[in-house]
Amino acid sequence: MADVAAPLRTRATVRHRDKGMRKARRGLVVYLFLFAYAVITLVPFAWMVLTSFKEPGDVFRVPPTVSPTLLYGEEPFQNYREVLTRYSFARYLLNSLFVAGTAALGQLVTCSLAGFAFARMHFRGKNILFALVLATMLVPTEITIIPEFLLMVRLGWLDTYLPLIVPSLMIGAFGTFLLTEFFKTVPRELEDAAVIDGATPFGAYLRIFLPLAGPALASLFVIAFITNWNELLRAVLYISDSDLRTLPLGLTALQGQYESRWTLLMAGAVVSVLPMILVYLAAQKYIVRGFVSSGLK
Amino acid sequence: MRYRPYVPYLFIAPMLLGLILFRLGPMLVSLAASFTDWNIISAPTWLGLRNYREMLSSAAFWEVLGNTSLYALFYVPGVMILGLALAVLVNQRLPGSTFFRGFFFLPYITSTVAVALVWKWIFATRFGLLNALLHAVGVDDPPSWLGDADYALVSVAVVAVWQHAGFQMLLFLAGLQNIDDGLREAARIDGATEFQIFRRITLPLLSPVTFFILIISLIASSQTFEVTYALTGGGPQRASTTLAFYIYQNAFVHFRMGYASALAYVLLTLVGTITLVNFALRRRWVSYG
Repeated sequence: MADVAAPLRTRATVRHRDKGMRKARRGLVVYLFLFAYAVITLVPFAWMVLTSFKEPGDVFRVPPTVSPTLLYGEEPFQNYREVLTRYSFARYLLNSLFVAGTAALGQLVTCSLAGFAFARMHFRGKNILFALVLATMLVPTEITIIPEFLLMVRLGWLDTYLPLIVPSLMIGAFGTFLLTEFFKTVPRELEDAAVIDGATPFGAYLRIFLPLAGPALASLFVIAFITNWNELLRAVLYISDSDLRTLPLGLTALQGQYESRWTLLMAGAVVSVLPMILVYLAAQKYIVRGFVSSGLK
Repeated sequence: MRYRPYVPYLFIAPMLLGLILFRLGPMLVSLAASFTDWNIISAPTWLGLRNYREMLSSAAFWEVLGNTSLYALFYVPGVMILGLALAVLVNQRLPGSTFFRGFFFLPYITSTVAVALVWKWIFATRFGLLNALLHAVGVDDPPSWLGDADYALVSVAVVAVWQHAGFQMLLFLAGLQNIDDGLREAARIDGATEFQIFRRITLPLLSPVTFFILIISLIASSQTFEVTYALTGGGPQRASTTLAFYIYQNAFVHFRMGYASALAYVLLTLVGTITLVNFALRRRWVSYG
């Protein structure tokens, strides 16, 4: 009897082993593609960092050299020192930190206030206003930027930080949406408890709702920070005083001035990219979650 | 909660003010401005439809419109196919998938100006990395990419796809993870190949997400500004100038605020129409299970 079943059994094991092999082979192919695209993602960043550690002459070699020659010399950070001090990138860094930080903090305030009202209060025109806020997310900047520019001229805000902060701070359509959705999930009982304790709406917002919204606020903060940090158009339009430049603006200005000084330009690029990469590494969870919900609004 | 009826309006006041000052107000102002000749310095003069008529007979406008369509044809399928492929790859849940997912997203959060700058250096004709590689594999006469009218636009699109693919990946991934594994497992037991499963089960179930990503990719492609600004400045000549960049040039380089506003409304109308057409065609390929 066993003899009859034996071939069947072997065939089954062979098929099983086959399946295992196929699975392993598939895993290998997947890794191959993953690594290939990781290289494509990495190369521009690697090239940026390597070039920032080269001597100016190195960049005009054919074929290009990979070796970061400055690292073997006496002053490896020469390009960084030059770009930070002589070309004021240290100042631009502070400007960017200030602008992105205030705009992001401001967005937390305006968006959470509005989100609280949309989620937990009743008022006339609520649905229409909420729809309007969402609809404005889709209006391209090209439509609104010209009148905005004229408004800034009228207000005398050119060459101040204000036009880089105020519009972004007051129009947090995505943030309002995010926080409205979040505040809707807060159980009714918590609100009732606050009301029994005699809390005003503002008290309930401040003491109950805001503390609960920690993760949502963190997502919103990092996203707003990154968006404002990278903003170029408004900086181009509103800032001509070189002391007020943000990093992206400083970088384009440096490029316009020293088209072929790639070692300096790449050091400047690293200075503007590195802080965001650090923020990303520190808050990856919040960023990924926030961006997914910003996309899947 | 008890409160006086005006209290909610206090909560939304800052946002409402912003909405009026920076969105609704400007939309109306630029609509009105699109019927005028306006250079900021002197008062606007009424032109009626002349700005719009000028567009129709302007060779530059049609060239820019052609570039915008071509750019969308490179960018939208490019970023979507790459995003989907990456999402499928990291969704295999092999060890290290999370790392790759995080890593692929990195370009999206870094400054466009900075990454465009390094791409400019990669694309450089004589000393760039790309042409060095091409030389190494035996291409004797590689193009000067950003300086070549035939390649500038597609080079800009390549950089944009590289920067945005990680974002599309995340959106596709969220969609893939919502698909019930049971269905695929059942098909596998019935002897379906992986490709059949992907084609007949995964793709149809993913279609609402795909539809949504198509819409936002089209909108993103119509608004491309920073990559162009940092890479080519719209050149050589007008070869890589798309509509959004052309609006910027008209408004803030030539100070033709009226004409630029008219262009902006044409852009809005085009994007709006394409979006509506997509919504109308949705029933044909999007299945809401």
